Amino acid sequence: MTLGNITTFSGHLHPLVVHLPIGFIILAAILNLLSYRKKYENLKPAVSVTLFIGFVSAVLACLLGYILSISGDYDKTVLINHKLSGIALAIISGVLYYLSTEKVMLEVHIPRKLFSVLLISLIALMSYSGHQGASLTHGNEYISMRTLMQQVREKPASVQSAMIFEDVVEPILQNKCAQCHQGGKRKGKLSVDNLQALLKGGKSGPAIVPGKLAESELYKRVTLDPEHKDYMPADGKPPLSKNEIEIIKWWIEKAGAVEGKTMAQLKNPDSIQMQVGTYLGFHQPDNGTSNDEMSTQAVNPDIPMQTDTLAMARLRTKGLMVRLMLNKPVMLDITLPANSGVKMSEISNDLMALAKNVIWLNLSGNNFTDSDLHILKSFVNLEKLRIENNPVTDDVSNNLELLKHLEAVNLNKTKITDVAVANLKKNPSIKRVYTWGTAVKQPG
Amino acid sequence: MSDFHHDDEFRLNTPEFNELNKRLDRRNFLTRTSLGIGALALGSLFGNSLFGGASKAEVAATGDLEADILRALPHFAPKAKRVVYLFQSGGPSQFETFDYKPMLAKMMGQNLPDSVRKGQRLTGMSANQSALPVVPSYYKFNQHGQTGTWMSELMPFTAEVVDELCIVKSMHSEAINHDPAITFFQTGNQLPGRPSIGSWVSYGLGSDNNNLPTFIVLVSKNGQKDQPLYSRLWGNGFLPSKFQGVQFRAGKDPVLFLNNPDGYDGEDRKEMLDYLSKLNQLQNAAYGDPEVDARIAQYEMAYRMQTSVPDVLSTADEPNEIFEMYGPDSRDSGTYAANCLLARKLLEKDVKFVQLYHQGWDQHTSLPSGIAAQCKATDQATAALIKDLKQRGLLEDTLVIWGGEFGRTVYSQGKLTPNDYGRDHHPRCFTMWMAGAGVKPGVTYGETDDFSYNIIKDPVHVHDFQATLLHLMGIDHERLTYKFQGRRFRLTDVEGKVVKDILS
Repeated sequence: MTLGNITTFSGHLHPLVVHLPIGFIILAAILNLLSYRKKYENLKPAVSVTLFIGFVSAVLACLLGYILSISGDYDKTVLINHKLSGIALAIISGVLYYLSTEKVMLEVHIPRKLFSVLLISLIALMSYSGHQGASLTHGNEYISMRTLMQQVREKPASVQSAMIFEDVVEPILQNKCAQCHQGGKRKGKLSVDNLQALLKGGKSGPAIVPGKLAESELYKRVTLDPEHKDYMPADGKPPLSKNEIEIIKWWIEKAGAVEGKTMAQLKNPDSIQMQVGTYLGFHQPDNGTSNDEMSTQAVNPDIPMQTDTLAMARLRTKGLMVRLMLNKPVMLDITLPANSGVKMSEISNDLMALAKNVIWLNLSGNNFTDSDLHILKSFVNLEKLRIENNPVTDDVSNNLELLKHLEAVNLNKTKITDVAVANLKKNPSIKRVYTWGTAVKQPG
Repeated sequence: MSDFHHDDEFRLNTPEFNELNKRLDRRNFLTRTSLGIGALALGSLFGNSLFGGASKAEVAATGDLEADILRALPHFAPKAKRVVYLFQSGGPSQFETFDYKPMLAKMMGQNLPDSVRKGQRLTGMSANQSALPVVPSYYKFNQHGQTGTWMSELMPFTAEVVDELCIVKSMHSEAINHDPAITFFQTGNQLPGRPSIGSWVSYGLGSDNNNLPTFIVLVSKNGQKDQPLYSRLWGNGFLPSKFQGVQFRAGKDPVLFLNNPDGYDGEDRKEMLDYLSKLNQLQNAAYGDPEVDARIAQYEMAYRMQTSVPDVLSTADEPNEIFEMYGPDSRDSGTYAANCLLARKLLEKDVKFVQLYHQGWDQHTSLPSGIAAQCKATDQATAALIKDLKQRGLLEDTLVIWGGEFGRTVYSQGKLTPNDYGRDHHPRCFTMWMAGAGVKPGVTYGETDDFSYNIIKDPVHVHDFQATLLHLMGIDHERLTYKFQGRRFRLTDVEGKVVKDILS
């Protein structure tokens, strides 16, 4: 094993060690204040010890912090403020420790209350320094009133109404890049604050060049081999997903890196619709797409991706078998067991709520009449329908004429005649009609 | 390396054990509450008005439902909702049924060329024969249906529905003896211990009729019982017990003790079972044995079956013409024909997997008379089942499967005379067929050579068949797994390819 980059390693310890002086100094102040009360008077000697540990750890944090500052690209003014206040903090905590030791106490008498005030001021200084440090690590905006006041952009209602930069690209950058490239922390001098900053770019040139992928440093870096030293996000931070990269690529190349435009206002948004929809959570990314068996199945695109689960639950409590045929999209196979005694009026509302999801429907043997089955018109994605053994007449066929996915209709043992069969023949999608035990002479 | 030492791999890791662990775990509370919050969060995914006017119970129920939807098993939209598997146990000869080999007539009595056999293994029963004389089918073949498919005269009824069948002539198996071969077909492994296909399907897809078992087995009483069948063939293996096949008896009372004994009106039975269930639950809380769960479920199922089974077994509503269609045996309960009729009635009630077994296809000697008797006992009812399902519209979503565990040899086992011969086991090629939901009708798939000894086109392995069956039910055979003894098992082990060419 070779020794790696020891400076980088120890520099990265700074954010860890820095919390030690914070804790000890605050503890010292608390002990100091408590010792005013008679009950806790015996804590007084502990203040000195605690301050000493605080001082030592503060010095250590300063050293590590210095090492870190050499290796990183940080905003200079913030860095200087942090550095100076940190060093001052270490020195002052040392002085206070010195003043609090017994030996010194006997020679130089500092009023007890003055000492407490100094200690509290030290905490104030520490807070300032800490805030500067946090701004370096997390960016200027990390803790700011803006976070509180900022208008959170509402999730767009649809892919079409989504703003390509504001709703999609910017959140991606905020999520994956801003930690190192925003506010006080502008590694490589790049900031992803806004579009202008992106166009301006950093040390290696513009991050984005509208229409030109090859010149867009940002795109180049996120698509490098992850082992490459210029790969972004660096240091093993979470990389951009395939989907996100595709969106950024499309935005730079096809959409000219615009801002303030919705998907609908852009040219040819179809090619990226899917990815944007996935990013915005309109549909679940399909884990099974790599499965070639899956992709051979043509699934009707009109079937909704979601369904009304309350209606499903209510139908199940009424004794219907509501079976899932697929979850993306949600395809349902609903069966009302024969002779259930359930009336259509009890279930029609819930059935209607699921109408677009129902692919197979079995309502056979439940004494339903034509008027009960008018709802069938709404089952636009239905492929197989079983209504055999019901006292329905030719009238029922009128509901099925426009169901363009309907393949098979079971009308066995109903009161239909040839009229119904002729009616159903008008619907070109219907391939099989079952008419066993009816007055139909010419089976379809 | 670190994986090797990961003790997780060596722990008992079945779902039941995990369930037990969870129950005893101090983290139970946290798990449950976080799951609850998860379920609420899922609510937004499905865009319903989760809190609008819904009762608490409803919200809880739909929380479960959403979780259900997310992990719902159908990996693809299913084509088949039910399966009826007509298992012809013993290894029906392909020569006298479906695989027409006219060339053999000219070669009758000649020794099987070594160029065909290529030194492949034979069973101990015929390996020591001095000669392997080729024998053609004793029975004539004719073309049937619009497809002009060649079929033997032994199956006149099946010939009538040949346009509905998807005949696979290129099946092949790995086992050469009955028990390993059947076990292989039913469980995907030659050694006992794995779950049966029907158990996998019930485990994966659940029940469509809560009043009847999901997986029902019928063994005909009129098959020659020369080779035994064991109940492990429809066993649950390592899956929870409730997924095992339930065998109906072949006889007058397919399910015993459905009726109340004399002097007991059954009125307080529900109460009695409720108390019994409470006792069982106490036991379960103390020991957490998953078998207790299975037992509770079985008592409840048995109670519901008291009403559902007499209903499904009653043939009072069946008109004469139906009995005539299935043949005279269909009135004699427990025969293959009666079982076919019963199977139809079970399928009508949405029983998901009905498995029939008919024994006696093992004609090592006296094949011509033996196979004729077998065909006579099964042919009419098999065809009637297809016709009946079709007229009722049930063939839309029911998959019918016919086949045995292997085929038979082209050469005669024992003495070859003009009227008599036998055939030995032959796993290298044999014929089975499927019909109904999701498979192309009127299709013949795969080809064998002139001796029906080797496959020359489109071989279908037993695992391929199993993968295809699961595919038709909407299951990806590679993703339906169960972890047992540190390993994830699946029906098709590490093989199996869906035969896409026969899917409609």
